[in-house]
Amino acid sequence: MDPKIEVRELNVWYGNHHVLKDLSIKIPERRVLAIIGPSGCGKSTLLMTLNRMIELIEGARVEGRCLLDGVDIYNPGIPLTELRRRVGMVFQKPNPLPKSIYENVAYGPKVHGVKDRRKLDEIVENCLKVVGLWDEVKDRLNKSAFELSVGQQQRLCIARALAVKPEVLLMDEPCSALDPMNTRIIEKLICSLGRELTVVVVTHNIQQAARVSDFTAFIYLGRLVEYGPTDRLFESPVNRLTRDYISGEFG
Amino acid sequence: MRRVGEKLIPVLLSTPVAVLILCLLWIVVSIGGEGIQALNWSLLTSSVLEGGIFESIVGTLYMLGGAVALATPLGVATAVYLVEYAAESRLNHLIIQAVNNLAGVPSIIFGLFGYAFFCRFLGLGVSLLSGWLTLVCMILPIIVSGSVEAISMVPTSFREAALALGAPKWRVVKDVVLPAAAPGLATSVILGVGRVAGETAAILFTSSVYLMRGLPSTVLEPVMTLTYHLFVLLVATPGGMTGKPFAMALLLLGLVVSLNVLAYIIRVYYRRRW
Amino acid sequence: MEETLKSFDFLKSLRRMDWVKLILMTIASLSIVIVLLISLFTISESIPAFSSLGLDLLLGDRWAPYYGRYGATPLVYGSLIVVFGAVLIAVPLGVLSAISLAEYMPRKLGEVVKLMIELLAAIPSIIYGFLGMVFIAPAITKLFGISLGRTALTGSIVLSMMITPTIVSISSEVISSVPREYRMAAIALGATKWQVIRGVVIPTALPGIAASILLAFGRAVGETVAVLMSCGCVAKIPSPPWNLLDPVHTLTAAIALDMGEVAMGSMHYHVLFGLGVILFVITFSVNTAAWLLMRRAPRRLIKV
Repeated sequence: MDPKIEVRELNVWYGNHHVLKDLSIKIPERRVLAIIGPSGCGKSTLLMTLNRMIELIEGARVEGRCLLDGVDIYNPGIPLTELRRRVGMVFQKPNPLPKSIYENVAYGPKVHGVKDRRKLDEIVENCLKVVGLWDEVKDRLNKSAFELSVGQQQRLCIARALAVKPEVLLMDEPCSALDPMNTRIIEKLICSLGRELTVVVVTHNIQQAARVSDFTAFIYLGRLVEYGPTDRLFESPVNRLTRDYISGEFG
Repeated sequence: MRRVGEKLIPVLLSTPVAVLILCLLWIVVSIGGEGIQALNWSLLTSSVLEGGIFESIVGTLYMLGGAVALATPLGVATAVYLVEYAAESRLNHLIIQAVNNLAGVPSIIFGLFGYAFFCRFLGLGVSLLSGWLTLVCMILPIIVSGSVEAISMVPTSFREAALALGAPKWRVVKDVVLPAAAPGLATSVILGVGRVAGETAAILFTSSVYLMRGLPSTVLEPVMTLTYHLFVLLVATPGGMTGKPFAMALLLLGLVVSLNVLAYIIRVYYRRRW
Repeated sequence: MEETLKSFDFLKSLRRMDWVKLILMTIASLSIVIVLLISLFTISESIPAFSSLGLDLLLGDRWAPYYGRYGATPLVYGSLIVVFGAVLIAVPLGVLSAISLAEYMPRKLGEVVKLMIELLAAIPSIIYGFLGMVFIAPAITKLFGISLGRTALTGSIVLSMMITPTIVSISSEVISSVPREYRMAAIALGATKWQVIRGVVIPTALPGIAASILLAFGRAVGETVAVLMSCGCVAKIPSPPWNLLDPVHTLTAAIALDMGEVAMGSMHYHVLFGLGVILFVITFSVNTAAWLLMRRAPRRLIKV
């Protein structure tokens, strides 16, 4: 089976700081990939490279190839807006737009051309149902998104990302700002989403990676140290570094 | 002894503040006292040729309306460019320098320039249009610096969220950044208008005339304004002081004070809704 | 086939070009264009005056344009003396108020006071001129027993009300921005509040306070209508020169008074632009000096 995303010899610099070094990885379709590793080792950077949000960072330089369905996403011929529709992102700190709950979810489809009010209503309802928010907010859809709790806001951000029907969902430590209950809700969500989309989750919580993912990649100091099916990687890691990290020796 | 001295200091220091507040009150009372008595409906609605000030009031509104309608899109667009499209570039620094320099130019120089450039060089003559263009030059720096501040304060997370959904940059600005910055933008526009509402020197010879019946029918005609009318009444007309100048001064005062208070209210009421 | 592909590429690159950015850049550059135009026109219209009068324009001591005498010295002197008088009043008033606002006033009261001082600054200059002419001038005649109330002193008083708010708002902002660490160090040594202010806060804030004074100076020099109505418009250096009770004439008032009546293209016309250039040079230098000082002042927000 062809990988959904293939990264070949990826190198990323922030100014003179070499953040990602010769990174190559094949991300399979319709599975959940967890990226683990100590802080500051390039996990978030890798995510941002996959939807070209890295270009927003001053002084960032990318070399290497990132292929989505076999097509290089850094080829200037691919419109950025279409790339980001197909590859969605959920951020570490929930970042609702300063709009109503309804407008938050509807914004993506609107930007990509959906004008019919009924269609938008349908999309909003479906996505809010998927993340389990619909019953909680259906009576206050035009209240400000900031009135929601942090956990609800993050689920709203996931609903918002799903509204444009992405093929890939990038999640940068989606639960790190949340309490255990909301974390569980979102972890269950990741598992179910992983059957229809390709999900890439960055997490510094090793147990979380074990719970939600089919595949795990361990990145250390900008290099891919080990990559494989989650069960195998956790039970019998090949690399000594991996073993030490998983057992909590460092990081 | 040291303690007594210490306690005395805040009291002593509040004296200059009290002086300033008293000045403000004195101004309001001196103008308002006689102005209120002279202010009546017939004054406001009768033509200047019959002793009223109708043309002056409407002329002022025309002047301010046109100037702000022209200056606002230009100023906000400049601010958007500076913050969203060109942060830290050389052109950015040049534009900011230019805006700061513009803010420090005395109003009479705007008047001279307006006359030499708009009235004579471009051939617009003494007209409403010349006045508009001159005032735009004066309002622009205020709107630009206020808008830059308002737009910079919009959190980056909003922009990131919208961009990650695949929105093109101009849509992010239009749908997310500008609405979020709206109170700050409004404040800067209102303050800009307040700055030129009482402006006399700049329009002295670029757009105003002392007497005309009726309102200008095209923008190439001159216009009467409260400020210039008041100026001529006080300076060029000898004789006793009637109530009319006081009424006009009161109107001007009211206009400027309301604008500033409005800007203040917007600033305070809309403080950080997120 | 090659040709069609090439034109597709061209169209694609046209669409890819960020039109929005281009349009915004053009609009933004308007500010630069305006500044250049103002400088260009003012200078070019003044050249005939400078080329035929040369330094006489600047140094000549008689201003009698209707007799062909274009010496700007009495005007420059008039501008400067009125402004100096205003600054003399405004500095103690303004700096002490700023200290009171920034250090001693409770926050809520301070907000109200700040608003009121902002209002003082917002009042149009014609109203200040009105007050100068109608209230202050007569008071001066009574107080000092002179015949004509429109004097340099009247102008100074009026101007001081207009520029004090500038000093207050900038100085109080700068004083509030003095880092807490500096204050804590002094307090920990046992200093009283006033000693901290005098010994630590004010010296640190001094560049900013000085900048605010310079800005106030610049604003006062550029003021037109208020001084025109208050100062008497007599283009003579008072005798003795420090006599504030004599009428004076300023650069700005001279331009404003004469401009409406000069013949286009006459020497008088060009001389007025020459006065404008002199005025421009004074305000530009003062504002630049203020800006340089401001960079060394403590600031909370980095303003653009």
